[in-house]
Amino acid sequence: MGKLFDGKLVFTQIPLLLKYLPVTMELAVTAMIASLILGLLLALVKIKKVPVLKQLVSIYISVIRGTPILVQLYVTYFGIPMILKYINFKCGTNYNVNGVAPIVYAFVALALNESAFNAEIIRASLESVDKGQVEAASALGMNYFQALIRIILPEAIVVALPSLGNAFIGLIKGTSLAFVCSVVEMTAEGKILAGRNYRYFEVYISLAIIYWVITFVLERVISYLEKKLRVPEDAPALLDIRDTEVE
Amino acid sequence: MIEIKNISKTFKNNKVLDGIDLTINQGDVVAIIGPSGTGKSTFLRCVDRLEKPETGTITIDGETQDLAHIHGKDLTELRKKTSMVFQNFNLFSKKTALQNVMEGLIVVKKMKKEEAERIAREQLKNVGLLDHANHYPRHMSGGQQQRVAIARALAMEPKLLLLDEPTSALDPELVGEVLDTIKKAANEGYTMLLVSHEMSFVRNVATRVIFLDGGKILEDGTPREVFGNPKNERVKEFFTKINRMEEPDYSI
Repeated sequence: MGKLFDGKLVFTQIPLLLKYLPVTMELAVTAMIASLILGLLLALVKIKKVPVLKQLVSIYISVIRGTPILVQLYVTYFGIPMILKYINFKCGTNYNVNGVAPIVYAFVALALNESAFNAEIIRASLESVDKGQVEAASALGMNYFQALIRIILPEAIVVALPSLGNAFIGLIKGTSLAFVCSVVEMTAEGKILAGRNYRYFEVYISLAIIYWVITFVLERVISYLEKKLRVPEDAPALLDIRDTEVE
Repeated sequence: MIEIKNISKTFKNNKVLDGIDLTINQGDVVAIIGPSGTGKSTFLRCVDRLEKPETGTITIDGETQDLAHIHGKDLTELRKKTSMVFQNFNLFSKKTALQNVMEGLIVVKKMKKEEAERIAREQLKNVGLLDHANHYPRHMSGGQQQRVAIARALAMEPKLLLLDEPTSALDPELVGEVLDTIKKAANEGYTMLLVSHEMSFVRNVATRVIFLDGGKILEDGTPREVFGNPKNERVKEFFTKINRMEEPDYSI
């Protein structure tokens, strides 16, 4: 009988797995960006209480949050080809279902999933900004969009950052489910490696280490950004205005 | 000349403003006084359209706008002509004093950055806070914040400056510096509409005093007329109550 646990293998196969880190990160980053944009739009619909859309958004968020990400991945994986087939049938077009890269399915599912959670985070952070500042902006003559970009978002970001960081960490770990859409990212590659030598336990330990290191680094980056974005605690020195000439 | 006509505002079943008319001459400092909850602030907020009245028009520079239906470009134009100073300062907390004053100039008046900065520095100098240009609101006292807010409002060169209880959120010892700043602006000839509880200040600075109660203007005249010889019973009663506070508890 061979070794029960191959400790060396845990580390030697990490470089092999890291070859697929770009796939994981590409999926996570693009899905995050898409989900932030979509989440902001959903949040604005809720805040501005747009009739009809508001109800639709509530249902959307409820459904997405109420179903497992694994199920959502399957739904998009089987759903998108069906939609394409239907479009081909109806419009006489000839889109190739097999031409869609597997990563697209995973991207769509993860972005939609994440947008529902981010919508609520973004809504709460936008609403946490003092109404008085928004009034001051309107009194100056800014429209809502200008106030949103110049006044509300810069302040809301500081509030939202820890939660959005958390969501991003969750999303990175969520990409490990993308294998069900036949995307070969780190976890899928791990399964493939282990399929050859039956060292499943070792490969999962390697994966655990990699994911944990990524998350650890991200946590640092986020808390650094948080500090960076906050208004400094200490007042700056008074300007010396004796020499400056103001007309 | 600024003409405000027939402003009415109802909250639920409570008629706060009942068809108020007011004509303000260029350079006038009009103070609105009256018991709390009588719609003094609401009136100011309706003029700037932060609150939407059911009826009402405003004419500035010969241009009449319907306050009940104004929106889009017209609303921006109206707000360019007016500026508001709030009770709670409402400075932009993520921006320095200088950026606070520059903001409206850049975003609304579409000025070049250098030009906006020059004006902002000038305004900060006028309120005596140029040395605080790089301070964020959280680094400043309430009085300093309110002075920056006044600089922000004046930088827009408003035809009408609205001041909504500018000193009532301040510590007593900080009130003076803000009142001095407002007085300075009044002397420079800005047209102002001011809601205040600082009676001695109103007496001092206002060119005209309006007493508002029950959604109507009950008294309208110079400070001397309104404070010295009010005709309306309700106004007399109001001053009696205020004066009682200032009298000693007993006398020998």
